Amino acid sequence: MLKSGPVVIMQMPEQLNLDGVRTFQQELEPLIECHRPRIVLDCSQVRHIDAAGVEMMLHCLEEAMKRDGDLKLAALTSEAEVILELMRVARVFETFSTSEEAVRSFNAIPAEVAPQEAPWYGDAFGDLGALKQAS
Amino acid sequence: MLSAIVVVGPEIREGAKSGFMSEEARAQASLSPARVQRATPLVCVEVLGRSVLDRMIEDLQRAGVDMISVIGNVPFAPACDGSGSRLKIEMCSAEEAWRRATQQLMSNRESGVEGSLVVRLGAYVDLNLENALQFHREHGQVVTRAFEPEKEEPLDMWITDPSRLTDGGDILTILGVVEPARYVAQGYANRLDDPRDLRRLVVDGFTSRCNLRPQVSEIRPGVWMDEGAQVDRSARIVAPAYIGRGVRIAEECLITRCTNIESNCEVDYGTVVEDSSILSNTYLGFGLDISHSIVDGNHLLNLERGVTMEIADPCVIRQNTNPRQDQDCQLSVASDFGGAQVAPGKEN
Repeated sequence: MLKSGPVVIMQMPEQLNLDGVRTFQQELEPLIECHRPRIVLDCSQVRHIDAAGVEMMLHCLEEAMKRDGDLKLAALTSEAEVILELMRVARVFETFSTSEEAVRSFNAIPAEVAPQEAPWYGDAFGDLGALKQAS
Repeated sequence: MLSAIVVVGPEIREGAKSGFMSEEARAQASLSPARVQRATPLVCVEVLGRSVLDRMIEDLQRAGVDMISVIGNVPFAPACDGSGSRLKIEMCSAEEAWRRATQQLMSNRESGVEGSLVVRLGAYVDLNLENALQFHREHGQVVTRAFEPEKEEPLDMWITDPSRLTDGGDILTILGVVEPARYVAQGYANRLDDPRDLRRLVVDGFTSRCNLRPQVSEIRPGVWMDEGAQVDRSARIVAPAYIGRGVRIAEECLITRCTNIESNCEVDYGTVVEDSSILSNTYLGFGLDISHSIVDGNHLLNLERGVTMEIADPCVIRQNTNPRQDQDCQLSVASDFGGAQVAPGKEN
């Protein structure tokens, strides 16, 4: 495990099968249970992921999102990419070519600064309040 | 009387082993799916319902060859359709195959066979055998060798009069002693060096670039379905596509873009198969997305990324546990195209 500011980088094992999942999840779970967890899974050593591995990744993503955080994947090997695509979950995760890029993506818009209640339409339609009053 | 000697396996001459694969092809071998890892020649893999070997045997029978000897690494016995040709299968190693082929040629000479075709089966070529035999008769040379169209590179197919051959060495040396007449095949050629070529052959068959076609009727334009195939009403098959004998496609599946699913495969609920070849007796689990791949049992070769994987989880993909033994109906369907398949060769 490696910490880069508030972001935690976890190295995924080469084989993420049922046995590997148990060990890995034991390490990962405490990190997810904090407020706004920001986790990068470094997949540069992954050669095989089975259904249990994919399920664990989805579970961790779900838990992280529940706590207003995120789980991102970095340095995916071709094997990992093929398996995630095969199981139709590749599009669920944000992926980056390196762990550094993934860390930077967390820092790009600090959650504290990002407007939480900004209207979805922004200013693109002009002053909608004035328009409403005029009508 | 006409005879044919079909050798399945790499070219191995007496005294020296000359690999038939290029360096590039050798590198590609590491990307091969299971059947190739098990050293099954690609000519023996089912493509659009039948292997290249089956199609070759049928072409030889159609060309009036009386006796066909298939020698080498043949994983199953191709069936004879009862056309009158005698079919002899000898399963053996590549080294042994060439020795036996030499014996067979010499035996043909002793028994007064008029003409012998010698073929090392390694590629798919659309070749009109009747024309090739006619060419040999007209030119009157001891040996005629077929050449690839366009590039005019030699193919491992010779036509010879055994009675005019001289003794000495192995079959390839004997055939190489005399300057052959050059018969340039007119048509499509695919060297089948690696699994990418197998996929290319399927796409070329679907897009009419070669004579390879499924030998079953189209249920609608561009969609071929073989006997015993079951496709759920909610599944969608987008042309061109081939669904092989005894295949089961479950609900909500999508089969699209030049996909061929060979005999006795099962595609489970909601799986999408796009631009892929699923080799016979393969189970694809539910909710998968398979694209640009060749799948053989629990082996998956992704052609886009160049990755071969063995999937250990049988719920995802696996060898079908109860494949049907249906090899006996391999040659039962009459074909209407004139193609032959011969191997690329080396200039003597």
